[in-house]
Amino acid sequence: MDGLERGDGVTRTIGWISTIAGWIAATMIVVAVAITCQMIFVRFVLNSSTVWQTEMVIYLVISATLVGLPYVQKLRGHVNVDLIPIALPPGPRRAMFYCTLSASTLIIAIMTFYGAEFWYTAWSRGWRSDTVWGVRLWIPYLSIPVGFGLLALQMISDVWAVAKGYDKPFGLPDKDPLAARAASAAEGGH
Amino acid sequence: ETLRLSHQWSTQDVRHKVAQMIADEVATAEVDLDIRIFPSQSLFKAREQYTPLSRGQLDMTVLPLSYAGGQRPEYNLTLMPGLVKNHDHAARLNESPFMEQIKATAAEDDVIVLVDGYLAGGFVGKDRCVTGPADMEGLQTRAAGKAFEQMLAGAGASIASMSSSEIYSAMQTGVLDAANTSSSSFVSYRIYEQAACYTPPGDYALWFMYQPLLMNKTTFDGLTDDQQTALLAAADKAEVFYLEEAKKEDADSRQVFADAGVEIKDMTAEEFEAWRALAQETSYTAFVEEVPGGQELLDKALAVE
Amino acid sequence: MDPLLLGGLVAIVTILVLFSGMSVAVGLLVVSAGFLIIFDGIRSLELMPEILFGKLDNFALLAIPMFIIMGASIASTRAGADLYEALERWLTRVPGGLVVSNLGACALFSAMSGSSPATCAAIGKMGIPEMRRRGYTDGVAAGSIAAGGTLGILIPPSVTMIVYGIATETSIGRLFLAGVIPGLLLVGLFMAWSIFATWKSGNLAVLTPTDYTWKQKFEVLPRVLPFLVIILGVLYAMYGGIATPSETAAVGALLCLVIAMVIYKLWSPAALWTVLRDSTRESVMILFIIAAAGVFSYMLSSLYVTQSIAEWISTLDVNRWVLMIAVNIFLLIAGFFLPPVAVILMAAPILLPIILAAEFDPIWFAVILTINMEIGLISPPVGLNLYVINGIAPEIPLKTILTGSLPYVGCMVLAILLLCLFPGLATWLPDAVMGSAV
Ligand code: NA
Ligand code: NA
Repeated sequence: MDGLERGDGVTRTIGWISTIAGWIAATMIVVAVAITCQMIFVRFVLNSSTVWQTEMVIYLVISATLVGLPYVQKLRGHVNVDLIPIALPPGPRRAMFYCTLSASTLIIAIMTFYGAEFWYTAWSRGWRSDTVWGVRLWIPYLSIPVGFGLLALQMISDVWAVAKGYDKPFGLPDKDPLAARAASAAEGGH
Repeated sequence: ETLRLSHQWSTQDVRHKVAQMIADEVATAEVDLDIRIFPSQSLFKAREQYTPLSRGQLDMTVLPLSYAGGQRPEYNLTLMPGLVKNHDHAARLNESPFMEQIKATAAEDDVIVLVDGYLAGGFVGKDRCVTGPADMEGLQTRAAGKAFEQMLAGAGASIASMSSSEIYSAMQTGVLDAANTSSSSFVSYRIYEQAACYTPPGDYALWFMYQPLLMNKTTFDGLTDDQQTALLAAADKAEVFYLEEAKKEDADSRQVFADAGVEIKDMTAEEFEAWRALAQETSYTAFVEEVPGGQELLDKALAVE
Repeated sequence: MDPLLLGGLVAIVTILVLFSGMSVAVGLLVVSAGFLIIFDGIRSLELMPEILFGKLDNFALLAIPMFIIMGASIASTRAGADLYEALERWLTRVPGGLVVSNLGACALFSAMSGSSPATCAAIGKMGIPEMRRRGYTDGVAAGSIAAGGTLGILIPPSVTMIVYGIATETSIGRLFLAGVIPGLLLVGLFMAWSIFATWKSGNLAVLTPTDYTWKQKFEVLPRVLPFLVIILGVLYAMYGGIATPSETAAVGALLCLVIAMVIYKLWSPAALWTVLRDSTRESVMILFIIAAAGVFSYMLSSLYVTQSIAEWISTLDVNRWVLMIAVNIFLLIAGFFLPPVAVILMAAPILLPIILAAEFDPIWFAVILTINMEIGLISPPVGLNLYVINGIAPEIPLKTILTGSLPYVGCMVLAILLLCLFPGLATWLPDAVMGSAV
């Protein structure tokens, strides 16, 4: 169910890195829930200041989103619309898979590069948020290069898995993908 | 050639009118320069305008300079309680060595100021009036700006940080008891629908925020002489308009709140001095501790008569 | 380049890329990057990470993972089945009773959440599997939740109404009230269609009423109690001045997790991890699409396409109702490609003056605009609710979700027509509560 049944050392290792990223993301979301509840308690019951909570929660949810990207990629959780691939015969479909995934990996690599540059600027210039808490912005910004970098890694691993034959392009069977899709839908619905 | 100007306000706001005025004037001058305005954060979010501006990816903006206080802590002095006494004092401050130094800092980020301008603000209370520090004790408050948060916390208020778009519903449900921001924002966010009492900027006003029209320096230097002249002429005209309107905004806000049946209570001289003493201990001290050379800059600002 | 032509080009490229099998969020980034490089220069890529980060830098988005945790923790226990068992026993004689109650739940959740994807995720997580199990067609199960979820931005509180209020300087309180009756009207229309579609499908499994005794009907009631606690708790936190709408979601998430653990003995780390894993997967997927759609909006705003078309409409010299039709068509098409908040930010400041000049009420127009945006949420290629449903019910093909949602789009168009005929549907309640507009 985790998609680890087939593969080699490379795909397994990258899969594990992505899974760990997923655990971290899940933890950050839970912590965000807890801090929000703590904030409501401090403000409503204790009637005290809540200076850092809102910011902290926002940065946790953003970081969870970015760091969670590789894990969701690994679970095939990023929604896609495969109308064109389904209509194609297996050969062109494979070509299309390499095309779309290279374009995807390229844009994510670009995001990683400029994200790292943005992070470096915030770090080297000591940027802080303009609040009383004044968090050092390089800390939340770090999630941009880390999240996108790991996502690019997982995408490369997905291309590798198709090239090595561990996986099918777009996860579609060679023969009659529509019928297979309908069958799996029927199965899911009892 | 087209320049892009981004800001966060609605098209009825005075700060939009200042931008629009420059765009219109430059268009009339027929120097082949077109200024395209993106209002209401429709291009960049309010606090994300300074970085693209300094990189030359945004040409112009109308921006509360303290929004960039996290990058340039000196800017925090442009929203400091009790530093500016009234609009004429603000105008003198704009011509002072203090502002010269602020502009020198901006120039390091490749940013120049085209139009100077300060806007004033006040306080609203959900159930009662907030004029002096004693009124703040125990209230849940959202303040506009770090220095104000520090001062209000010093007065015993509890600070709830939330985005400006949540003020209205937070006051409606009672999460917030009081709020402080510019008089124009009080009007445009329609806080008068939720407030019992308003303390507008009057003879004594605590809250003045420097909100200039900024431009990327490299972009400006790249314009032809004709274009620069037209832009500077438009900026001069807009600056006069901005100052007049800033004064009018305060009177208008008083009228709008009064018409909405909200009690109006002005700040007294004693209350103003009490706030200022509190600010000295809290926000000023914090600023000096945080900013290298902060004391010197603060003294320059305080030296303006 | 002519804005209409440029807009058409962006539309075609976006459709091709999004249908290519590339994930939706990454596809939006690819299209945005491509047009930015061509029209703004290669250096505009530098800004993309900051813009993406900035689009997520919003406390209101926090509600999305929170509501998903609510749905996931309930769905992983017997609680969900209990609730639907109770609904089944009480509503067995109503054709489509379960759809009706799910739509009711969507309306209720809309009153707790300001966001449509959040509403959709919370109800769909439980409701879709239950409806399918009880024999409803995939189209009705998915379509009703996708459409019901859109109510999140019409029934107060609403993120889009707040944005409209700020961008156009109209009263947010008035806007909130204006959404109530049209929201209920839409719920009614959705329910009517669901009952009709279920009855017409002739599906015996759903249509044959089972005769439950009163004892059977009452014995399930105590098991519904935990839900009442959660719903009352959340509504109390929000309308009792304890928390803002976005914060309330966290209270709901915590309540649901605690109830799942205490009452339904969801103790084992493996079971808890399943809940958290599912919630994380869905939240990350949705938030990434929202962030990427934000970058896409930046690209469109920077190209000035949306604004140019809105400006062009404002120059039309036509009868006020022809103008209203033109505005509606424009909003519909913009909604196909852009999330609601982006459309409002770009178009509302340009359209509002012509709407006022044509003597339409700005509050009434906000409701018209919101319903148009709701249609956009369930229409391709950028239909957030469609992707949310696809994410939480991957076994239903997107095509089925889409065709299932179409009749509900029809209900929304009907609602727009009714609002044009009877503007009082939107303006009566705010006038009655807050006095006539000045
Ligand atoms: Na809502
Ligand atoms: Na859409």
